Amino acid sequence: MFIDSLKTIWESSGFAALTWQHAVMLIVACILVYLAIVKKFEPLLLLPIAFGVLLANLPLTDLMEAPLTSSDSGGLLYYLYLGVKKGIYPSLIFLGIGAMTDFGPLIARPISLFMGAGAQLGIAIAFVIATILGFTPEAAASIGIIGGADGPTAIFLTSKLAPDLLPAIAIAAYSYMALIPLIQPPLMRMITTKKEREIKMEQLREVSKLEKICFPIVVTIFCVLLLPSVAPLIGMLMLGNLFKESGVVERLSSTVQNALINIVTIFLGVTVGATAVAENFLRPETLKIIALGLAAFMFSTIGGLLIGKLMCWLSGGKINPLIGSAGVSAVPMAARVSQIEGQKANPANFLLMHAMGPNVAGVIGSAIAAGILLSLFG
Amino acid sequence: MTVFESLTVALFCIAMVFALLACVFGLIKLLSFIIRRITRKSRIPQPEPMTADGVTVSEGDKEDFSSGTLRLKNVDEPTAAMIMAIVSDESGIPLSELCFKSIKLIQSEKQNIN
Repeated sequence: MFIDSLKTIWESSGFAALTWQHAVMLIVACILVYLAIVKKFEPLLLLPIAFGVLLANLPLTDLMEAPLTSSDSGGLLYYLYLGVKKGIYPSLIFLGIGAMTDFGPLIARPISLFMGAGAQLGIAIAFVIATILGFTPEAAASIGIIGGADGPTAIFLTSKLAPDLLPAIAIAAYSYMALIPLIQPPLMRMITTKKEREIKMEQLREVSKLEKICFPIVVTIFCVLLLPSVAPLIGMLMLGNLFKESGVVERLSSTVQNALINIVTIFLGVTVGATAVAENFLRPETLKIIALGLAAFMFSTIGGLLIGKLMCWLSGGKINPLIGSAGVSAVPMAARVSQIEGQKANPANFLLMHAMGPNVAGVIGSAIAAGILLSLFG
Repeated sequence: MTVFESLTVALFCIAMVFALLACVFGLIKLLSFIIRRITRKSRIPQPEPMTADGVTVSEGDKEDFSSGTLRLKNVDEPTAAMIMAIVSDESGIPLSELCFKSIKLIQSEKQNIN
């Protein structure tokens, strides 16, 4: 009797249902937790993602299960995941990003937009390579967007085009964004000459408050009218920025850049991680996605640098091409890398504010690229 | 999808990104131009301030009194003077060495949330 009870408890426990694939995924989750806590790789997102992976791979929890009948309640993460599935969380994160972004450097030097555009080169190249490797156009577009170096944009597009690839793409995107200080500098030194890296840039002009207020309104009207599919991303980004720049809704601005973005980040991270169940994740495609993501990142950096070099040449050596690599939209880490490399070449060099222009242009550029891909394949 | 088709899509995509951002570039330039024109026009030349006995105070004379211009927003002069004195006292920096740019009254938003 006692033995039978123990046997029943054992058989109904998760331990009995645990497969080797689950075990591997639990190890992956623990590695991600380690990277987030010890190595500080984008911990704000990687930690919830890692714990989501862990939760989803504990058998019999049914956390991601949809309700089968009207009386069935369904899993907690299933409901939270609807925010990803419907594209709500990435857009809300963009609202917070907008409230935290100063478009002043971009308005002061709008030519930075072209560096932001050049830094989307990786999206195009990764798309072509992915299709050659046999991915469907939808999957290839989702893989390519990793090159945009923008987590919410990558999640937004992938959740619409290739939801089964979401965990691999999200993890790859955030991991490479964290690895920018390792990925970019060798490429920056390879593509630019020491003389170019030493260029000191002129002080940016002062941007008036009126310009900063008009900017989000004008960009929203133009971009959304031209490409309606970018409305959720660009619309929210610019709304957040208008909250900040208007100066009349301090409370809303503070909420979207603190409380709201933090809450949404928790939901987004945990549910994206929870999609990484063993049968979805442990397959050769994941390795291909991770390799393609790296290629996309590298080509995006190269694209930004090449446009930076072109700007340097066109301006008669007034623009330091190092700021081009900040066109990948990882804000503000890519701009910081430009600053560090610039100072290594010339200790009197201060490129940070100059690099913020291409950096925020990259956010707009990757959102536009996502909108175009969505229009083509959505 | 063939390689040629994927190349076409990739080229189209990157060309569209450049085209759209080029348009945004044009818009920013136009916006900045218009705003600078408007603000320049609105800056009507102010007559030089007069003292109580009718003597015009020139820019050079003004520099004798202040190291900058202080903007007061919803704050009266006695309150501003008091704030400046408190800051000087708390920081231990003589008032003559402090430069205030603006003093603004910050009001908490009193709005219903529903």
